Amino acid sequence: MSSNDPVDLRQDRREWLKSSAAALGASLLPLPALSGEQPQTATPPSKPAASSAPNKPAGRFFTPAQHALVEELSETIIPADSHSGGAKAAKVADYIEQFLSETDDDNQKALWREGLRLVDLMSRHYHQKSFVDSGPEERIALLQVLSDNDHMTDLPEVRFFIELKRLTVRGYYTSKIGIHAELDYKGNRILQEYVGCDDQGTSS
Amino acid sequence: MTEPEANLSKTYDAVIVGSGAAGGMAAHVLTSHGLQVLLLEAGKKLPIEQELRSMEWPYDNAHRGDLPPESHALTFNEYTIRNPPYGAGFEKARHLRSYVGNSDYVKNIVVDERENPFTGTNYAWVRARCLGGKTNIWGRLALRLSDYDFKAKSRDGFGEDWPISYSDIAPYYDKVDLYLGIMGVKENLPHLPDGIFQRPQKLNCAEVTLKQSLQKMGRVLTQYRAGVTSEGLKHNKYRSRCYGRGSCERKGGCDIHAAFDSPTGLIYPAMDTANLSLRTNAVVREVTVDPQTGKASGVHFIDAQTMKDYTVRAKVVVLAASTLESARLLLLSKSRSHANGLANSSGHVGHNFCEHIMGPGVTGRAKDLVGKPSTLDDGRPGGFYLTRFRNLSEKHPKFIRGYGFEGGSGCRMFPSGTDVHGFGASFKEEVRKNQGAYIGMGAFGEVLARYENYVDLDPVVKDKWGIPALRFHYKFGDNEHRMAEDMKETAQEMFEAAGFEIVHVRSRVLTEGWSIHELGTARMGDDPKTSVLNQFQQSHDVQNLFVVDGSGFVSASCQNPTWTIMALCWRSCDYLADEFRKGNL
Repeated sequence: MSSNDPVDLRQDRREWLKSSAAALGASLLPLPALSGEQPQTATPPSKPAASSAPNKPAGRFFTPAQHALVEELSETIIPADSHSGGAKAAKVADYIEQFLSETDDDNQKALWREGLRLVDLMSRHYHQKSFVDSGPEERIALLQVLSDNDHMTDLPEVRFFIELKRLTVRGYYTSKIGIHAELDYKGNRILQEYVGCDDQGTSS
Repeated sequence: MTEPEANLSKTYDAVIVGSGAAGGMAAHVLTSHGLQVLLLEAGKKLPIEQELRSMEWPYDNAHRGDLPPESHALTFNEYTIRNPPYGAGFEKARHLRSYVGNSDYVKNIVVDERENPFTGTNYAWVRARCLGGKTNIWGRLALRLSDYDFKAKSRDGFGEDWPISYSDIAPYYDKVDLYLGIMGVKENLPHLPDGIFQRPQKLNCAEVTLKQSLQKMGRVLTQYRAGVTSEGLKHNKYRSRCYGRGSCERKGGCDIHAAFDSPTGLIYPAMDTANLSLRTNAVVREVTVDPQTGKASGVHFIDAQTMKDYTVRAKVVVLAASTLESARLLLLSKSRSHANGLANSSGHVGHNFCEHIMGPGVTGRAKDLVGKPSTLDDGRPGGFYLTRFRNLSEKHPKFIRGYGFEGGSGCRMFPSGTDVHGFGASFKEEVRKNQGAYIGMGAFGEVLARYENYVDLDPVVKDKWGIPALRFHYKFGDNEHRMAEDMKETAQEMFEAAGFEIVHVRSRVLTEGWSIHELGTARMGDDPKTSVLNQFQQSHDVQNLFVVDGSGFVSASCQNPTWTIMALCWRSCDYLADEFRKGNL
């Protein structure tokens, strides 16, 4: 697979779902219904999640293997470069895990579990190894397939990619590394004088 | 500051319902004239500095400043696909908020939608039941109206003229400017009169580019006229001057109160006169009427927490509960002599409901700023205001009235442009290099005050306190939709003319109510048959009843209403105090 070949995701996914089913025997679970606007059944209010203090470790949602996978996925979305650290250094996987452990949105939780599984199936199909064991170019090539097809929102792996990017962006640019090291944000401090353009233009 | 307890056994000179911009102003003016005033607020007094935490970094917050997971804030999609009351389908959320409540800093300021249901047509009704109401989180754009607004009917034939002219209210705008502080630049525009401004903020470079390009088109962009004190207010010990700190565009308010809010700007100073008592958690359900005289005698309220019923007696009743809540209260106050609701012999209470339409706008990129080092662009109360240019000297063929744009440019704590396609190293670099180059603006346009846009009481649905809910019969009309089309087109044209690369043009009209500028449910007028209030916001029917919030607006203008609400209220309360002294109430 090279990133120059256009990938027909809809065509290919039959293959990787089939091959994985063979590889995993009968253990492959049927895809759960994941439509975004399915009617919600009335359930009694669930017990609110305890709000966690900023420095407490995030609540558990991922297995250690899933956490490692999310780290590598988020780092592929926002990698370290010569300018600043990436999503891994900014602990974006912890942010995502806390978010998922606290949310009441069961569709969102199911989408993440399913998405992580599908990404690994795709990786095994295209690269014959798990995403975590893939090299940087293989990782990029894999997410490129999803990014190129991000209009196919009926597919769970595409919706997963969109959520992965959304939460990685949110987690990264609200982190210390994102705000200070990456963007060199200059606000949130007391000023003597408003900063602006030297030339304010002539009055009308 | 002493905070005297409400004494429910005495008859107050005036009882004020609501503690936002209008209620706070009424408290200030009436106590300054020596009246003994009781101020009732339906919500509680929040430890507001602890709520707002204006300088908190996202990474020091348990949820990066987002709403905690046990709460849900309605989204644009949800307002569109669901119908009021919005509670159904959100059973898992412990608290359900309007769209504004989507932040850890605002979550306790806006009401729980399920405790405060309403029915009818879709409406993003943002309510803040706490001391100070919506002034705790308002957008701070502080604009004057002009005779283009007050005499709009005389210009285009639609609706009604106001019973006042600019010259009547101008001295009161001046008083509000001086008492509360406002930043801005004089522009000498007949349709957007200047105020008495403190030191303005500065435009940044993309904003100056747009301003200069607009000058060639005869259009005016000015610094955001903010109801914020940049130089401080010697007469007010509860407010600090603006230090340009914080990320002011973040949803939330100003925890040093440089931005005006009703408690520190108006209510606490009024308490220092010793003429003001305050009772919070007082949910008013009715204005009481003396059957002998037909005059208002006070109010009934329910304690929000104990659910106990109370009565307050007062010689004058001043409603300032917000445009929609005040109309609701009038409709709730039915009696033998006022079968149609109080002050409603005209049948106009709840009608002529108007506001601002918003949604259309544009985002562009100033190419010369791409790749430049980051700049300090926030810590300003706002960016710019692009003033109305339609239907001033010429007549637009497709719609009447006008619109203005609010906008801004530059770096923010959370960067613009993260919605671009792609991922990886190039995505990261693109976000970084473009972060200071984005410029955007969105329009606010006048929604015509039409009789057929109205609210009434739902015959079945009640709120948490057993009080009948409001039912909406309200839709944007053809004039608004044609105007929205023009907003989108002119926004794009103006950005193209300024040399900006167009990133995104928005044509989508946001849900009714989104502007949080609801107005006009008890309009003023000289004719008691077609209006509810006279020019001093005094009921035509009940001489000791005043409605001093946005209810009295005859038309919405396209300019943000808060400063006009306060100027009108000041004028009305001066009149009220004078009449009170003369024994005419």
